[in-house]
Amino acid sequence: MGRIMETIRDLVPPPHIQGIKHFVDYALVDEILRSKHFRQGSHQESQPFFGDSLLTIDHDKHFERRRLQAPLFRKEALEYYEHKELLPLISKALDECKENRDEDGLVRADLCALVRTMLARISAVTTGIDGVDTQERTDAFRNYIEQLGTGATVEWSTEDHGEVISRILQIREGFVKEFYGPSVERRVGLINEFKNGNLSEEELPRDLITLMYLHWNENWDEELPLRESTLYLVASSQTTTHAVPHLMIHLHEWFQEHPEDYEKRFDKDFLKQAGHEAIRLHLPSPALLRIALQDVTLSNGVGIKEGERVACLFTPANRDITVFGGDARSFNPYRETPNVKPWGFAFGGGEHTCIGRTLVTGLSARTDNDEGTDGTLVNIAASLFEAGIEIDPNDLPTYTELSYHDAYGRFPISLTNL
Amino acid sequence: MNESKRFNLRIDQEICQGTGYCVRVAPELFVLDTSENAIVIVVDPTQDFENQIIEAATLCPTRAITY
Repeated sequence: MGRIMETIRDLVPPPHIQGIKHFVDYALVDEILRSKHFRQGSHQESQPFFGDSLLTIDHDKHFERRRLQAPLFRKEALEYYEHKELLPLISKALDECKENRDEDGLVRADLCALVRTMLARISAVTTGIDGVDTQERTDAFRNYIEQLGTGATVEWSTEDHGEVISRILQIREGFVKEFYGPSVERRVGLINEFKNGNLSEEELPRDLITLMYLHWNENWDEELPLRESTLYLVASSQTTTHAVPHLMIHLHEWFQEHPEDYEKRFDKDFLKQAGHEAIRLHLPSPALLRIALQDVTLSNGVGIKEGERVACLFTPANRDITVFGGDARSFNPYRETPNVKPWGFAFGGGEHTCIGRTLVTGLSARTDNDEGTDGTLVNIAASLFEAGIEIDPNDLPTYTELSYHDAYGRFPISLTNL
Repeated sequence: MNESKRFNLRIDQEICQGTGYCVRVAPELFVLDTSENAIVIVVDPTQDFENQIIEAATLCPTRAITY
């Protein structure tokens, strides 16, 4: 059976990386990301949203910030997010879909919006945003995250970048007033109670905002927690939101071509491998820039001058046939990658490897006696199959036109078991 | 020293990115080798090192450490 649409696209280098020396081989990209002779070079334009956040700081500063935030990603925290927050929220979001049943009795939804709703609350929990509870509030919050995401990835926007920044900064003021400000105020109050001896540390919320205000650094500017929160909100929801539609359409095609595998749609190990393939092929950040801190000669003999910016193109690197095999450009949930992470550079590399990666992919067992977690991608995919997800061949998904990102903008589905 | 429980400390060398974060938080247990990959120097540390081990494992950008 043929493919229903083109699902594997090449990276179209956006204007901000054109003319810069770029690298597409897996080994060279890995070498640059691991090297201590480079610093972060991405997110120059999106400084108003991400400036001085974990994403944009390097070396000692990065280590200290990461160390501060690491407790949010401890095994126990990941287990809590998955079992106490994510799973009930997935069920809740699917239940809410039933309220919009069409006249023919079928429940229809947009997968992009549905996944964003599922992820909104979990990103609020890890960041420390209160009041994301009712459908109306969740919709408002989800909309803010989407808008902040547009600002935070302005380099990839097909719109005028100056206009995007100005528009989203204005929208951010609404977010601060409605969600962020009251959340900070409550946490600062609780921290004061703790410092006055009226609360124990265990009674404080375990989230980013609390951690930052509890361990305030005098070198930070007052707006830093807002930018760090923006990073958490955008990154924790966008990776999964980006990946699930790709995963669903690849599995749709896979099951058409391999009907014997259809029964594996509830098999979490199979879904995990499929999810890794989807994010390997469709990266939430398809390219990142690095700036050389000194003259560097790479192992292939290419020289990079001090201060020179280079682009690591993750999309072609993640399809490098020397690493992922001759069929690297295609989706194969049975692919074996013994020497590298199965998702390649989907979460970056080196010290800037995404701190929240384990939220998405799950955490492998840390000790000999535990089971680890499955992550947002697998849990959402399994729930969608239980809900009877189907793609309408007469109303196919479409890619976004607002960004150079390899992302769907519209993804109509029906949920036949609801 | 608590001898009742010992960890089985390991690093997946295929995914270690050599950031050296583990060495910073637990220099008694990890070092960077000549190719800047982290290696374990005490494979069965006692429970006294539990906090450092958990912090190193959580802080590792590629989560290459198990125990």
